[in-house]
Amino acid sequence: MTPREIAVVALVAGGVFFAVVAAVGLIRLPDVYARAHSASKSETLGAVLTLGAVAASYGVGFNALKVLLLLLFMFLTNPTAAHAITRAAHELGIEPWTGDEGDEP
Amino acid sequence: MVAVTESRLLVPVDESASLRNTVAYAVEEALDRAAESGSPAAVHFVYPLAERISFRSSSPRADAARTLLDRVASWAEEDAEGAAVTIETALVATHEYLSTPNDYADVLVRYANEHELGLAVFDPRYDPIGSTPLLPSLEAEVRRAGLAVEEAPRNVESPSQPLVRRGTITQFFALFAAAFAFYLLLAGSVAPFELATGAISAGIVAVALWRVSLTSPVAPRDAIKRLARFGLYVPFLLWEIVKANVEIAYIVLHPDLPIDPEMVEFDAAVWSALPVTTLANSITLTPGTLTVDVDRQHLIIHTLTGSAREELFAGTLERAVRFVFYGRAAARLPSPFERREEDDT
Repeated sequence: MTPREIAVVALVAGGVFFAVVAAVGLIRLPDVYARAHSASKSETLGAVLTLGAVAASYGVGFNALKVLLLLLFMFLTNPTAAHAITRAAHELGIEPWTGDEGDEP
Repeated sequence: MVAVTESRLLVPVDESASLRNTVAYAVEEALDRAAESGSPAAVHFVYPLAERISFRSSSPRADAARTLLDRVASWAEEDAEGAAVTIETALVATHEYLSTPNDYADVLVRYANEHELGLAVFDPRYDPIGSTPLLPSLEAEVRRAGLAVEEAPRNVESPSQPLVRRGTITQFFALFAAAFAFYLLLAGSVAPFELATGAISAGIVAVALWRVSLTSPVAPRDAIKRLARFGLYVPFLLWEIVKANVEIAYIVLHPDLPIDPEMVEFDAAVWSALPVTTLANSITLTPGTLTVDVDRQHLIIHTLTGSAREELFAGTLERAVRFVFYGRAAARLPSPFERREEDDT
């Protein structure tokens, strides 16, 4: 394997790992707020690593630049979406789970 | 001394969602009172600036204050519609330390006496200290000093500033150029076809959005400096994200799920729309913390673990955002944790 292939495989592996973490977190965490953490951030890092792999496989060039722009927009839109969802929950008066009311996680 | 008439108004200003209403109210009030009493109308907009960062003549906050005063003056002239009213703006107390309502009252009363102003009109959301309810005691102090005091009505129908504002030609061309450059970048060529379609698209974007997307006039040198500092901020943020993500992965995959979620609130020490947005988005991107709601600079944040909370209150991100937008001097302000301790003592 060439060094580039190794880099691509490592990035994809990292991306898959964090995507899986996001999915597991989505199932295991107790309420909408905590789930938004997992869905927005581990997911962002997973997507970023995967896109990084795409950019690396293109090599230095115009396509890699476009992928980098995609990355940038992902960084801008993902937190905004998470914020919109949790804010809606907050305004509906959904209380965050704190673990001391005896409810199941 | 000229007779003090109540058609001469003092209006303290600060960034506030209801500021636009207050300006309109003050101008209208001055004109009404002038018509009743027959004396000339005047409105003085005053920005008491507690300069804590540095003693240089120009600081980011002083600049921001001047920009705000300019904006207020142009609103006031718009509202006056050519009627005879003197509009003045002033930045006061530049080298004084203002921390209590009394300090603010002193500064305002001194200014009012110097300029023979008889009535103080307060913005209902005027709160320059940021965390304590200042207004009632400030009003009481000013009233005790012999001025008439009024509070502008809250306009519940439009609590936030309008999305569409007055734009300048510079803004229009800045937006056009940015859109055009981005189009050509994506196209990857400068063939006549791309140039033509790019110009048309950028033109449509600029016409549709020039009064929405760039809300303050563009100052090219400041913008470039900020962009350079932002370039330093991105790798720092990426590192924070990776570090914290590993922690979250550990928590999520841990059999006991060791989480301790809690909603926390604090006032960020950043002052205008874009820096607050950047901070809020950075907080959301850093795992363990999630911005739930923002009101001016008051942030409500959901934190997943205790260590994420400590990190948040240590203020590393906040400091970095201040560095990007206001330069190195502003980065040294105390962290939210230290500010909270100050408030408690």
